Amino acid sequence: MFKKFFHQFASPKTFYFVSQKIFPYLFWLSIVSLIIGLIWGILYAPVDKVQGNSYRIIYMHVPASFAAQSLYMMIAVASFIFLIWKVKLAAYVVKSVSLIGASVTFLALISGSIWGVPTWGTWWQWDARITSTLILFIMYLGLISLHNSFNNLDKADKFISVLALVGFINIPIIKMSVNWWSTLHQPASITLSSKPSIDLAMLYPLMICIFSFLGLIIAIVLRAIQYEILLREKNKKWIQSIS
Amino acid sequence: MKGLLQIELFKLFKKIRSWLGPVLIFTLIIIAYPLTVEYSTSELAKSFYSILWLGALMTIMFSTEDIFLEDYLDGTMDQYIVNNISLPLIVFIKIFVYWLLIGVPIGILSFIFAIVFTSNFESSLLIGLISLVVNYIYFAVFSFGNSLSLNKGSLLSSLVCLPLVLPILITLGKFITALEYALNFYSYIILLLGVLSIIITIIPFLISFILKAHLD
Repeated sequence: MFKKFFHQFASPKTFYFVSQKIFPYLFWLSIVSLIIGLIWGILYAPVDKVQGNSYRIIYMHVPASFAAQSLYMMIAVASFIFLIWKVKLAAYVVKSVSLIGASVTFLALISGSIWGVPTWGTWWQWDARITSTLILFIMYLGLISLHNSFNNLDKADKFISVLALVGFINIPIIKMSVNWWSTLHQPASITLSSKPSIDLAMLYPLMICIFSFLGLIIAIVLRAIQYEILLREKNKKWIQSIS
Repeated sequence: MKGLLQIELFKLFKKIRSWLGPVLIFTLIIIAYPLTVEYSTSELAKSFYSILWLGALMTIMFSTEDIFLEDYLDGTMDQYIVNNISLPLIVFIKIFVYWLLIGVPIGILSFIFAIVFTSNFESSLLIGLISLVVNYIYFAVFSFGNSLSLNKGSLLSSLVCLPLVLPILITLGKFITALEYALNFYSYIILLLGVLSIIITIIPFLISFILKAHLD
């Protein structure tokens, strides 16, 4: 039964119509809950004792960096499925998620940089987590530029999947080695991790923000995949019948 | 296999700019380094190693630019596939030949320059040996990138591959620190050798998969 479901859902046509149904609910639900979470976090959550009001950027920063990493995971799983089972839809997922992942990673970097000014007194710090996020961003850009440089989309799909898998194996290695590198050079700069864990009154809006941001991102990913389907299979009959 | 090795060696050897050029560029980078700073020996030794690693990295990045391109364009690669010659073997031989003609001279030059800049024979010998190992890793990784961006220029492949070799650079930095403070540095050598063994076995298969996709 699972196999049948998998096969059905993997056909672009079924996926298109199912995601067409899911999209409005997911999108508006996450928009509304994101607004609730942000208002709660920015207006009603208590002020931080050490950082004052500047900590409130976590309601944007943490969801973005959380999504940045999960999207690469999604790319890796999709490219694995594409390379092993040759599922066309997985290739569309890889292509469209790489663009969204790059922008989300950029958001995480920028918001972290802005947060760095009041907390650390600098826009940039060669800290382990920041550096590995920057490398992740460059890897997303590499995926995008690799896909863009081929006119033959079948080839481009294959190459981008191989690269995404190699990068996925490498990401934990990069993270570990960057951690290893920066702990020697600047142990004092990471004031963030040595703070006591977050208060519950701050945690609830943060959880709402994380989940609703993920929901929003998934909704956007669904839309992007739909766009990719329309673009690549524009000669199919069912697409011409709906347009 | 011996015949293939001879052919590839001869092919690269005849293109003098492809193997002598990178070695000269590496030399020029190292020569240019003291010109950019105020001259004093202690200052020079301080960041010599980072220039050495980065110089080798950049040189190898550009020297692998046309590693598969010529065979792809003139149909040699098709001939290999038609004649049922193992493509991973060809890729392995190609990388090995490039390493032999470019990587080994760079390793020897690293040894010589390390003596010049730090005047410590033992550590310079270690630097040379490490450079040989690391150069092979660079050759393998950048040929992977160049097989991806086969006829699209080397800029794309370097963008794609540079993030992949950053852990190697970090390991090299740790190795240098351990060497300077006389700590135990053998663990880093063993780590690099482990990476080398993984890369020697996996990369030829990855590259031949990509090359076959190019030829389809």
